[in-house]
Amino acid sequence: MASTEKIDLFKQHKDQYVAAKKPVLVTMDEATYLTITGRGAPGGPEFTDRIGALYGVAFTVKMTRKFAGRQDFAIGKLETQWWLDGDSHDFGRVPRERWNWRLMIRTPPGVAPRELEDAARKLLAKGKAPAAEQVKLESLTEGPCVQMLHVGPYAEEGRTIEAMRTFAESQGLTLHGRHHEIYLSDPRRVPPEKLKTILRLPVRKQEFRREVD
Amino acid sequence: MKNSTYQLYTERILKVLIFIQKNLDEELSLDAYARVAHFSPYHFHRIFRGMVGESLHEHIRRLRLERAATRLKRTRRSIIEIALEAGYNTHEAFTRAFRALCGCSPSHYRRDRSAAGTPGSSGVHYREDGSFHNLQLRVGGEPMEVRIEHVAPLRVAFVRHVGPYNEVETAWERLCMHLGKDGLLGPGTRFIGICYDDPEVTAPEKIRYDACVTVDPDFVAAGEIGVQTIGGGEYAVTTHLGPYSNLGQTYAKLLGQWLPRSGRELRSEPSLEFYLNAPESTDPEDLITDIYAPLEPAT
Repeated sequence: MASTEKIDLFKQHKDQYVAAKKPVLVTMDEATYLTITGRGAPGGPEFTDRIGALYGVAFTVKMTRKFAGRQDFAIGKLETQWWLDGDSHDFGRVPRERWNWRLMIRTPPGVAPRELEDAARKLLAKGKAPAAEQVKLESLTEGPCVQMLHVGPYAEEGRTIEAMRTFAESQGLTLHGRHHEIYLSDPRRVPPEKLKTILRLPVRKQEFRREVD
Repeated sequence: MKNSTYQLYTERILKVLIFIQKNLDEELSLDAYARVAHFSPYHFHRIFRGMVGESLHEHIRRLRLERAATRLKRTRRSIIEIALEAGYNTHEAFTRAFRALCGCSPSHYRRDRSAAGTPGSSGVHYREDGSFHNLQLRVGGEPMEVRIEHVAPLRVAFVRHVGPYNEVETAWERLCMHLGKDGLLGPGTRFIGICYDDPEVTAPEKIRYDACVTVDPDFVAAGEIGVQTIGGGEYAVTTHLGPYSNLGQTYAKLLGQWLPRSGRELRSEPSLEFYLNAPESTDPEDLITDIYAPLEPAT
């Protein structure tokens, strides 16, 4: 057994996973994730299939390390980035089939791409998770973000996002970049009105158009 | 028909309650009580707790104290003698337990003519003649969401744990490490616990538990990783939300409240627990467990 203690990134970065009922500002430094990207309706067949592949690789990497007596880590919560083609942010107007997403599990920086390839090979050899080969190791630096806990159905995130936008503007900030969700609840059994999701939206200084005379 | 099965369950529990009163001084095994009314030892205690509203141990302990209260009033026996009859070796321990139940010390209770009666979470009280007037088993409670599911036999790899329930984690770690390193924990893998003994009434060192993970037909047992086939047949299923330490309450509700009104009987094999999320990365209040209670075919 490894003498090193298990890494729990969720606990280590409590400041980045605050689930506040009011909007707060957080700063996201570079963070590493296992990721898999796709397109289509949330909860659809491709989406569900990719979640399975992502967890399969995460478990296999973790357990292989543990067996070898190397640094163990807790598998974090599922996170997803959402975006639309072009510059649009209007998810309400674009059919869900055309939503782009990147499913992510936060991972310690020490994990190497070779470990992912190894895990994918093992899963494929056992006939599990054909999409395992698409799982990648990616680093993201989101910088300053507004974050807030959303309680309720995913379809009702609009009101939470509005509160976040209002807060950002009061701070002289404007929303930009990809809509980021961190799932605290499991929609398989938790009723929609009780689902807890952290929303994270990158922000930057509002740009004022200078009046040129 | 549903009313008649409820009546049947009530009669069977009543048999057990009478047996307990008649053998209040015996230290019997759980199986002995279960046999009295032909309950499966796997389910008996949860049915008892759900219907009576307290665990078997709590029930016996309370009845002994209620009997002691009667003897304080009606006999001239010394308090220490009565304490010993109630299963307490010291005056202090008896006084503490007695006060907790009756609200005053045994000597005060004996002197004070107005002190009488004992409250209880169940309507079943000690009576000298062993009769059961106004028997009040727990009724209803809030309705419970239960579905009947047919489960095909599941081939699982497992690690057997014998010891305290809160240490089953170690069995899970070994099982998941050995399967995970070979790429055997993929999407569709199900994580199942089989608890052969009720942690509420079994000595911690004797609790038997199997940590199980579904595997393909070509998986071969090796070392401490065994293989068995579980499930097969109909199950009553309910979802428990929250910490594993509260599972007992949901079991008691399913088997002691829902079951007697369902018109169904349980098969004599252990219930299964399907864990839907990982305790490692989930807050205890967000844990999801489906409890599967095995049913005899419907008649």
